[in-house]
Amino acid sequence: MTRASVVGVGMTKFGTHDITLAELFAEAALPALDDAGVGRGDVDALYFGNTLGGMTENDTHLAPKVATHTGFGRIPAQRFEDACATSTNAFKHAVQAVENGIHDVVLVGGVEKCTPVTGIDTPEMTRIFVSAADRQYEQPTGITFPGVFALMTKRHMEQYGTTEEQLAEIAVKNHAHGTHNPRAHFGKDTSIEAVLDSPLVVDPFHLMDCCPFSDGGSAAVVVSDEYADSFDAPVDVTGLGHGTDLVPVSDKADPLATQAARDAAERAYDQAGITAGEVDFCEVHDCFTGAEVLATEALGFVEDGEGGPAAAAGRTALGGDIPVNPSGGLKAKGHPIGATGTAQIVELTEQLRDEAGDRQVESPSVGLAHNLGGDTGSAFVTTMEERA
Amino acid sequence: MSVETYLEDGELTHRAWSAALREDVLLGERCADCDHVTAAPKAACARCGSQDTAVIELQTEGTVYAETTVFVAPAAFSDAEPYGVALIDIGDARIMAHIDGDAAVGDAVAFRGTVEQDDSPAPLFGPADD
Ligand SMILES: [Zn+2]
Repeated sequence: MTRASVVGVGMTKFGTHDITLAELFAEAALPALDDAGVGRGDVDALYFGNTLGGMTENDTHLAPKVATHTGFGRIPAQRFEDACATSTNAFKHAVQAVENGIHDVVLVGGVEKCTPVTGIDTPEMTRIFVSAADRQYEQPTGITFPGVFALMTKRHMEQYGTTEEQLAEIAVKNHAHGTHNPRAHFGKDTSIEAVLDSPLVVDPFHLMDCCPFSDGGSAAVVVSDEYADSFDAPVDVTGLGHGTDLVPVSDKADPLATQAARDAAERAYDQAGITAGEVDFCEVHDCFTGAEVLATEALGFVEDGEGGPAAAAGRTALGGDIPVNPSGGLKAKGHPIGATGTAQIVELTEQLRDEAGDRQVESPSVGLAHNLGGDTGSAFVTTMEERA
Repeated sequence: MSVETYLEDGELTHRAWSAALREDVLLGERCADCDHVTAAPKAACARCGSQDTAVIELQTEGTVYAETTVFVAPAAFSDAEPYGVALIDIGDARIMAHIDGDAAVGDAVAFRGTVEQDDSPAPLFGPADD
């Protein structure tokens, strides 16, 4: 069933942007409005995501600031923060608002700056990133944000025999996809050897297993099902599930299950009336190569334990049975935290409109986005379909 | 000392848990309704929501569930050599701890004391046979 439709999208190139958060957001939001063909007076509300601005730039209360900068100073504007799942939560609320008749047209999006343009070095940014882990019972151990996923991945390697080479295959695949995405932070191929030879960040992750620190913005125009028919190329949101799991990791029943993602997927599939087998491609939250393994298993594309071998066999590459991250994913496209969720929605929309150029999945009908927050404590799964 | 001496108005607050930890006492909570044991005290059981939880002293020996070595550290640890962090199964509880020495999945480890970051203690574990 259609819950809402996306009628316009925009995003900046992900990479390094030495401009203000509001300026960066405008570079995604204004093109999204142009793409939809809506003007300032048509937009009823702004649902906006940003995660780190308060910590990195002493910049909070950003919703009215970015609304003012983009010319929407008087519409209701609100800001969301759920770590890396920030802007999909904004998107969820936009979908609910148009679905329930509260608004007709909502501009949704996110922006983040994570690179050294913030003036913050790697140890300090590593401290800021780990703020998503439990403050009292995890951070004092010296764990890092990649470290949380490293623990899960090391356990997966022990339990299922996943190998470092299989993890590297995921980086190689996502870099290959990213070469076809002009907005990707990394537009270059890599190799298994280059991944395995790159310095260790947190065992088993080498530098090339990790998504980069990126700056960027993304936005989408969301309208109600009824209103969508008056637009040129609406793409329907048919399911949007939200799951939450216990924090800290030590309280999770099975950390490898990423249960919040399983719950979110079940809800999204149920709303859309589809099964995993009917999904033609997906964008998943590959903040680290091991996270893509856990994602493909949680979403039901492969059996538990098979995520590594499936990637190594090419099943998740463009042209495979279930292309995963045709955009390059967080790994190659980049991961400006608060912009990542709506950037996945941008990719789904462009793919389902057959506008993705050299990274186009062959005639897709159903796309899925999987966005995690923190230590997998938050998860959103969105299914989108071309409008019949 | 009994467990009660660490509590604040009968509650295992983070401050109370930290005070006990600094005296080498690992405290947690057991849920009377679902038996979940947590090493990270809360107002209610994280698994079932019950408020009927009892403060207990946790085991000090356990088995490594997952471990990693941190090479790129947060600011407070960035002067340290690469170090280990692990999830450790201690009886019915699981705990995240800083690791002294080497510990792989399945290894037996024992509680050794604490490390401190920004005035917050974390448990330190090391190989059990040392
Ligand atoms: Zn319980």
